[in-house]
Amino acid sequence: MKRNRILPYLLVAPTLAFVAAFTLLPLGEVLVGSFFKQRLNIPKFQHPVFTGFGNFASLFGDPDFLQVLANTGIYLAVLIPLLLIAALGLAFLLENDIPGLGLFRLSAFHPAILPMVSAATIWMFFLTPGYGLWNQFLHLFGYTGPQNWVGNPALALVSLVLVAFWKNVGFLMLFFLAGLQNLDKSVVEAARLDGAGGLRLVTRIILPLIRRQTLFVTTTAFIGAFQTVDHLFVLTQGGPSGSSTLLLYYLWEVRFDRLDIGRANAVTVIMIAILLAFTVTNFLASERNEN
Amino acid sequence: MRRFVLSLALLGLTLGFAVAAPVEISLAYPVAVDAPITAMLKGWAQDYMAQNPDVKVTLVFSGGYPDVKTAVQTAIQGGAKAPTLAVMLATDVYDLVNAKYVDSLDDLAAQAPGGEAFVKDFLPAYMGNSTYKGKLWSLPFQRSAVVLYYNADLLAKAGLKPPASWDQLGKDAQALTLDNGKTRWGIEIPTENPYWTFQPLAIGGGKNVYTDDVTVNFNSPEVIDAVQFYIDLSHKYMATPAGVQSSWGTSTQNFAAGKTAMIIHTTGSLAGILKGARFKVGVMAVPGKKPGSLASVTGGGNLYLTAGHSAAERKVAFSFAQFLLAPERVAQFSAATGYIPNRAAATSTSAYKAWLASVPQAADAVAALDAAGPELATQDLNGVKTIFNKYLQAAFNGTMSAKDAMDAAQREADKALDDYR
Repeated sequence: MKRNRILPYLLVAPTLAFVAAFTLLPLGEVLVGSFFKQRLNIPKFQHPVFTGFGNFASLFGDPDFLQVLANTGIYLAVLIPLLLIAALGLAFLLENDIPGLGLFRLSAFHPAILPMVSAATIWMFFLTPGYGLWNQFLHLFGYTGPQNWVGNPALALVSLVLVAFWKNVGFLMLFFLAGLQNLDKSVVEAARLDGAGGLRLVTRIILPLIRRQTLFVTTTAFIGAFQTVDHLFVLTQGGPSGSSTLLLYYLWEVRFDRLDIGRANAVTVIMIAILLAFTVTNFLASERNEN
Repeated sequence: MRRFVLSLALLGLTLGFAVAAPVEISLAYPVAVDAPITAMLKGWAQDYMAQNPDVKVTLVFSGGYPDVKTAVQTAIQGGAKAPTLAVMLATDVYDLVNAKYVDSLDDLAAQAPGGEAFVKDFLPAYMGNSTYKGKLWSLPFQRSAVVLYYNADLLAKAGLKPPASWDQLGKDAQALTLDNGKTRWGIEIPTENPYWTFQPLAIGGGKNVYTDDVTVNFNSPEVIDAVQFYIDLSHKYMATPAGVQSSWGTSTQNFAAGKTAMIIHTTGSLAGILKGARFKVGVMAVPGKKPGSLASVTGGGNLYLTAGHSAAERKVAFSFAQFLLAPERVAQFSAATGYIPNRAAATSTSAYKAWLASVPQAADAVAALDAAGPELATQDLNGVKTIFNKYLQAAFNGTMSAKDAMDAAQREADKALDDYR
């Protein structure tokens, strides 16, 4: 039977059209737009004017933008490892058959079903200076530091990490838990018989076996952390003095607050480049381990 | 033949609908104020439609001023229809006009019955942000001013009079602070978005933070002095939490609960504060540096007509604006919220008089307007605000000195405004 050459293309056509219309086309527009200066609220720059790498040069020469990059870097560097370790730890704990297991699983998972705005609002109450739960809790351990975490230049970013951690750890745990439950028990048993136990069992046997889940969780956590800034709107609005502004929030400010289309396009390009670089590296690293 | 008759009938039906179709307009309103405003606006929209059966009014409620502005922007940029009328910050006028998001109201005011007298009746203090390039762009809708709320019972108990100067404000606040603030602070000024509540201090120090749409005075000696006074409230008088601590929402709660003796806040919170407070609440303009001087700053939202609507829709929108801003409704709105009546005719209505009789503080809030300067309004407003807030907070948090912070703010704001000069 002769193979139909057109059919495969026809089958992927709807998806392709969708991806082209909603991903590739806007991507191209953004890329082109990033080389033009356009500010809607400045009469003389209302229409795009070619500026080469002008937007990028002005961004990388702007201490505020560099601070945003640094903030985002710190936020990710602290949040992602914390999330991964805690999600894996929780998964190990909640994989065991312990009394009240359902309740524990539920309490670890419930923040995941809340919208980020609700989670941030709950934390706004926790973090209320003076009588907020968070300060009360810290007082038990003799904490006498600053009360208003979201207004403190050193703690605002930490409070964002706290909220994102609390909100996401349960969700990510779920994937690890699924991975652990699908492990071939005989492999683990065999390793145990061979004398591998504790940490060695985890690092040498279990972790390599749930590599796929780890790749998925890392990528999801990273992209999620990049994409979620709802808690910033609720808690810090990027302040004080820009100390908790993250890249996506900055993009929103540039585009909607300052109506700077060219610069917003350039920020978008930078953001996509970072995400792409991370995803590809992560994927390649994981594939290399495979071989 | 049958087909022909059918299409003829269809055509007739369509035409009939076209003739009878109501003019549809919508109003976008930022609902983030704690007062029964939604119910009131819905009622008024119903009343208007009852009087004008050929009009359909849809109300669009969204979170805050930025949300309404974003909704208008995205609609217009995406080629869709923006809500016909939108309540947005009065100070956003430059950005809105430059980006062509709003339409001028001059022709409508000239054509509408009583239109010109209606526009002339608004208080001059509130019309400052309504005109630009010689045209009228918006009508004062829910306007407020920043005032000092004080716990009159606590002041009386301590044998203190309401403060009449910065120094007295600091000393009173110090006297009313208990237990280093653990039990009670003397004063709180919200600082998470500080430029607005800071402005009365600058004005009271002798100079507003800006002069016109391209001139800011961030590093003038008077403004630096005012920043230093704010820092002194915590460091010299020990009467307010140090640094960026007080937030917009918790300061009113703390005040109503007696945990803070005085707060600097908007008149828009009057109704909410009076509902919560179990003591005599005093309201006055913020004391200035010189004894006996007072200062305040205007604020709030105006009603804008967005761009891209038909002549019929524009006409109906203006008529609905006139309806909403009729003196009786303005007075009712003020009574329900504490927003200061924005037109002179409202002050002679029975609703207004009843409000003053039941809430004596309302007259004090209205009187504060006499000492009010205009809210920061410049080109690239959000850029300039972000810069100013950033350095105000840096000074409050002690990461920069008042002078260094304001010098840096001036430099950056000047750079941002260069494109408009």
